[in-house]
Amino acid sequence: MNFEVVLASENAFILYFGDKIDPKISSEVQKSYQALKRVNIKGLQEIVPSYASLYIQYDLFLFTYQEALELVKATIQKATCKEQKEQKIIHLPVYYGKEVGLDLEDLARAKELSVEEIISLHVKEIYSVYAIGFAPGFTYMGQIDARLQTPRLANPRKNVPKGSVAIADRQTAIYPLKSPGGWNILGRTPKSMFDTTYEGLSFLHVGDLVKFESINKNEFLVLGGEL
Amino acid sequence: MNGLLVKNGGLLSSIQDSGRVGLCDIGLTQSGAMDELAFGYANMLLGNPLNTPCIEIAYGGAIFEVKGEISLVVCGAQIELTCNDISLALWQTHTLKNGDILKFDFASEGNFAYLGVAGGFDIRKEYASFSTCIKEGLGGFEGRKLRKDDFLRTPHKIFKERRKLKNELLPTYPKELNLRVLLGYQENCFSKESKEIFFSSTYTYDGVGDRMGYRLSGESIKSNRDGILSEAISFGSIQVPPSGEPIILLKEHQTIGGYPKLGALITPDCFRLAQLRSGGKVTFEAIELQEAQEITKKFYQAFR
Repeated sequence: MNFEVVLASENAFILYFGDKIDPKISSEVQKSYQALKRVNIKGLQEIVPSYASLYIQYDLFLFTYQEALELVKATIQKATCKEQKEQKIIHLPVYYGKEVGLDLEDLARAKELSVEEIISLHVKEIYSVYAIGFAPGFTYMGQIDARLQTPRLANPRKNVPKGSVAIADRQTAIYPLKSPGGWNILGRTPKSMFDTTYEGLSFLHVGDLVKFESINKNEFLVLGGEL
Repeated sequence: MNGLLVKNGGLLSSIQDSGRVGLCDIGLTQSGAMDELAFGYANMLLGNPLNTPCIEIAYGGAIFEVKGEISLVVCGAQIELTCNDISLALWQTHTLKNGDILKFDFASEGNFAYLGVAGGFDIRKEYASFSTCIKEGLGGFEGRKLRKDDFLRTPHKIFKERRKLKNELLPTYPKELNLRVLLGYQENCFSKESKEIFFSSTYTYDGVGDRMGYRLSGESIKSNRDGILSEAISFGSIQVPPSGEPIILLKEHQTIGGYPKLGALITPDCFRLAQLRSGGKVTFEAIELQEAQEITKKFYQAFR
């Protein structure tokens, strides 16, 4: 596995595995992240993956920069020798109704597609969780079908409802909590994304595979969804 | 019942410790005391464990009523502090009695003061820290800033002797700061000229800032990238948006972001910056990794 190492602060560095959104690069990031989380080394304080990078913050009282870096490198190399076990796909119910898919119709018009076509393009892919950030449990996933590629809204909303499933560029995401946001909203999931009762607090983690399942309004409400 | 009753929360008073470490990968920011120097001294004077939560009082204006009996200290921003309208010294411990009114005026130098009590406040940790993260509504006291009628319980722990910070340790809050920078991240996307401008200019803090970070105004610098693939942000990161005016990311910064970064301020200088008042001036100086690490370790060793 090849990566470049760059300083991020006096007690942090960042590994760059590439410089674009690419499933192969992202899979290297995820393997390295999971390996480091698994061994749970005392003194590695933060391990934060994103699309093509992995950030490491370490305890200055336990490691020098060289020691921390060597430890990280060794752990990553060991992990990549092992065969990865096959990953389970997490199915997430989404209600793509017009009252929750606030941008469905505008998007259909802009893309010259029907609303049904937009939904079927969104549910057909298996997405990989590339990064979590912006807010607790906000998952950046990719990639969506090129026919759905669309910029962020020119005027972000002040309040995006909790559970909103949205797209921007070639990415899709779920808003875990009510928050401001500029992504195009296609639907809403009744599943809670961020919860203290979850192991690791977040329902999804970097590296998870996700497939959306279209459900109807009644199913959405039965599963605890709120309109 | 022993504790502090909030009569007035002031502009922004919140429970903080040194922060929440290890959850940035699920999007939880570290948060914590904006100035760990004053925060650290407060706990040191009280004989509390280093990471005991304090009330961070931003800009002043808070009023508390003592219930029971409490040994406390206030460290940090220069604030006129009174107990029942009689002046009370900062940086030294006091024992107040039932019904005493502790009143903070507005800060005249610095921004953040820390009110610590012997034995700490009786609150629960949330996600492994006492720190309030106001943006996400979690931690501290109900995940929010303090307001009238909140009651913060404290153990009944009194000590008789008065402890005072040595004069030579007293921090000052100057209007001009020279801040030390470790280059890193996308530094190669900034031209030699841009870096020269950055390190030879004086920037102004116009008060556009909060617990997330401070935006500085002055000579704009350009990187050859408008944006980058979103990646993790370190405490003290110098983020340069397309406007070219740097933003220094502080305790409640977002966990990942997509603007190019020139590097990061060393940790103790982030705390100095946090105390800079609106209108204050900033210059930057580059230092090497080893020196940066020595300064930061020395900073924390003072409290060990």
